[in-house]
Amino acid sequence: MSFSRRNFLIATGVAAASTTVLSACSSGSDSKGSSKVPSVSGAKTMNIPVGTKADSTGPAPEVTGAVKGGTVYSLDQFDMDHLDPAQIYVSTEGAITRPILRGLTGYKVDDKGGATLVGDVATDAGTMKDGGKTWSFTIKDGIKWEDGTDLSMDDVRHTFERLFAPFVTEGPRYVQQWLVGGDKYKGPYDGKKLSSIEISGKTITFTLTEARTDFNYTLGMPGYGLVNKKNDTKEKYDKRPYALGPYKIDSRSIGKSMTYVRNEHWDPATDSIRNAYPDKYIFQFGFQPVASTDRYIADKGNDQYAMSIFNEVAAERTAQVLTNASLKKRVLTQVDTVTYYWPINMTRIKDLKVRQAINWAWPHQQLQTIRGGASTSELASTILSPVTPGYKDFDLYGVTTKPGGDPAKAKALLKEAGKVGQKLVIAYQQSDNAVKQAVAIKNALEAAGFQVVNQQVDKTTFYTQIGKIDNGYDLFAAGWSPDWPNGYSVFFPCWSGKNIGDGRSNYAQLNDPSVNKAIDAAAKIADVEEANKAWGAIDKQIMELAPVVPDYHSIRNWMYGSKIGNVVYDAGNTCVALCKLYVKK
Amino acid sequence: MFRFLVRRVFGALVILLIISAVTFWLFYAIPRDPATLSCGKNCTPDMLAQVRHNLGIDHPVPVQYWYWLKGIFVGRSYGDFGNCSAPCLGYSFANREPVLGTIMDRLPLTLSLAFGSAVVFLIFGIGAGMLAAVKQGKWQDKVASSASLVASSMQIYFVGYIAMYFFVAKLGILDNPSYTPLTQNPIEWASGLLLPWLVLALIWTANYTRMTRSQLVETLSEDYVRTARAKGLSRRNVFFRFAWRGAMGPIVTIFGIDLATLIGGAIITETVFSLQGVGQLALKSVDQSDLPMVLGVTLLSAGAIVIFNIAVDAVYALIDPRIRLA
Repeated sequence: MSFSRRNFLIATGVAAASTTVLSACSSGSDSKGSSKVPSVSGAKTMNIPVGTKADSTGPAPEVTGAVKGGTVYSLDQFDMDHLDPAQIYVSTEGAITRPILRGLTGYKVDDKGGATLVGDVATDAGTMKDGGKTWSFTIKDGIKWEDGTDLSMDDVRHTFERLFAPFVTEGPRYVQQWLVGGDKYKGPYDGKKLSSIEISGKTITFTLTEARTDFNYTLGMPGYGLVNKKNDTKEKYDKRPYALGPYKIDSRSIGKSMTYVRNEHWDPATDSIRNAYPDKYIFQFGFQPVASTDRYIADKGNDQYAMSIFNEVAAERTAQVLTNASLKKRVLTQVDTVTYYWPINMTRIKDLKVRQAINWAWPHQQLQTIRGGASTSELASTILSPVTPGYKDFDLYGVTTKPGGDPAKAKALLKEAGKVGQKLVIAYQQSDNAVKQAVAIKNALEAAGFQVVNQQVDKTTFYTQIGKIDNGYDLFAAGWSPDWPNGYSVFFPCWSGKNIGDGRSNYAQLNDPSVNKAIDAAAKIADVEEANKAWGAIDKQIMELAPVVPDYHSIRNWMYGSKIGNVVYDAGNTCVALCKLYVKK
Repeated sequence: MFRFLVRRVFGALVILLIISAVTFWLFYAIPRDPATLSCGKNCTPDMLAQVRHNLGIDHPVPVQYWYWLKGIFVGRSYGDFGNCSAPCLGYSFANREPVLGTIMDRLPLTLSLAFGSAVVFLIFGIGAGMLAAVKQGKWQDKVASSASLVASSMQIYFVGYIAMYFFVAKLGILDNPSYTPLTQNPIEWASGLLLPWLVLALIWTANYTRMTRSQLVETLSEDYVRTARAKGLSRRNVFFRFAWRGAMGPIVTIFGIDLATLIGGAIITETVFSLQGVGQLALKSVDQSDLPMVLGVTLLSAGAIVIFNIAVDAVYALIDPRIRLA
């Protein structure tokens, strides 16, 4: 999942379906893990398995010691851009809507830090036919909207048909691309139906253009949450979606606050994913990370019952918080699946040796220091994060041996290519940290023989700018996290030549026939282990072409108040699991 | 008085019209496309054209301005985005809400912050200034002058964080800054805003102390003040009936502008204390290139300055009999 325009600044609000829940994940309440600095490479990869029908049957397992009642507050910097599920592609939006929205499938978080793909409103995680070209889901009984009406099959069909409406511009596009006839369908509002969606009784069947053995994972994305047909207000639905989960929106002041109260029509027996312990959630926006961290440190009043979805421990307070045992008890540390990298524009930098020289010269360590040190990130040498299934450990450009860069080696490569003095135009967003990093990069590359021109780009249009085919930049900041647990959702969107175009996420515009062929072949492998091996090999194959400088994998630290219980990670949203929290008495 | 007010209000409307036209042109002339920002990442050219049409930005800037102006009186439709009833100051594509509604939602906090801190800094600033002027050259004067010098060199982002650390986190004697509507709970309203009031007032008090002192020192040396004393009026009587009234004119003028500025948005104060008022709204709107919202906040700020200028002129005549409204 790419960054939204706004969320790159926050950098962590990126991922959707994570592949992993890690051994390096530690809540501060776990005293064993609290003394260690988490590391990405030290974390174990864990696949999210597909659960059984029993796993999909509610209610969700009780959280030990949890009690009902109370109000949970949040201290966050930004409100969400979108609440309409069809427009949701950012992890924070997925996380905040988890208590109100439900999909066909979803991720069930367990008490050991693991997760399982289960049926959410569906009775199980789906049935596949024709090698993955046909998928069926049967809806559970007793699922009701917030007004007490039943979830109808018409609602389910409508949810997927409205994904094709012109106003849906932000959410994931996988289902739209894969459904037969989706290329010509314009949405349900002119009365037309999409024939590749069939309803029979309480079962919905999707017919796809290609075999997708992971389609049920795709549907676990928050972007495929269900929409109430009768109350579908099109564009306006984004402000006030209709609830199917244990809570509903009581009030909202955009950019300022939002309150959830209980949805009395939600039946826990139908939901194996969500516990609903607090009576109310009050989300408060407008808190800078420093302000929220200070308030968590003070732990006064309602802040004792607060947590953050967006705000992590501020870089300025990281050392203070993580070195203080009593404060660290109230920190959830989690290694993320996102890899932050700098794509190199292949249409402008065509010489392999020049691209390799950029990689060799890269000042990984200096950039890590600017970001706040090793407690918030680990240096990257691969496209896949070490916690993503398929990850293969390799280091082609001396990231581990020469973390500060190797200007001599880079200069030698430039000389070989006859490109000493090669001009590089680097684009980055306007922010304090980005400016500092741009200076470090410029110095390192110039020491290696490049001539660097740094260009600040307005952050509201940054991704529009770098997403243009003819963008005029040689190197720019980006990042990606898998949408669900396999390499396809990383390599197809970002590195397949089939996904080059204005607004597409193959920012480097890599169009290598052998890579394209390998991606297509790996996508068809049904065996998970074999597929993972193939994705790892593709990672290395791409890095040999050096179309990108992998920069870092992030480690996230969320702090919370002393009276919030069971703050755990939701692997499905790479965020705090709101539906597992409770208020301590 | 009535003729004065009518004339000034008319003048104020003309000024606001000019400000709105200039601001509108400035914002819409810069190379930012609200439609692109609103359309999203999977936007096609057709969708972009539709969004432009819905937002009304497919017309020349003068026509857009005319529609915007008309919307203030008769409201406006933004196609699929929704309707904006009169008085419509525009539609925020980022919030997907009419601009005025959002501003009105944030305004009570900003008004509370502005008036509350104004009460504090007027009392302490004018009080300290009077004391310094009366005790000119004595230790009271020196203390007040030095303290005001120190306080005026402080910055809210510095004092604010330190005050939060000591009074909220360390000592726990003040509440975390927050906003509760006055009508809902006056005690929570005051306790939630007390720290921002005090910090904001600390900086502003210094200015008013120095200004009051210099004005009073100057007035106290005027001939008419000496004459009054020579005629046998008591020191207290002379001070309050003549000197104080004479010195207040410039202070009232500055206060009108200061208050209007605060109402336009105390951006740093609201950011430091995480309060969601007009200041933070302005900041976020600039950050998001939400031009209609920026225009709305700019107009609010300009309107506040114009209105307070009229009020100041009226108050001027009341406190200084030498000035007549004509």
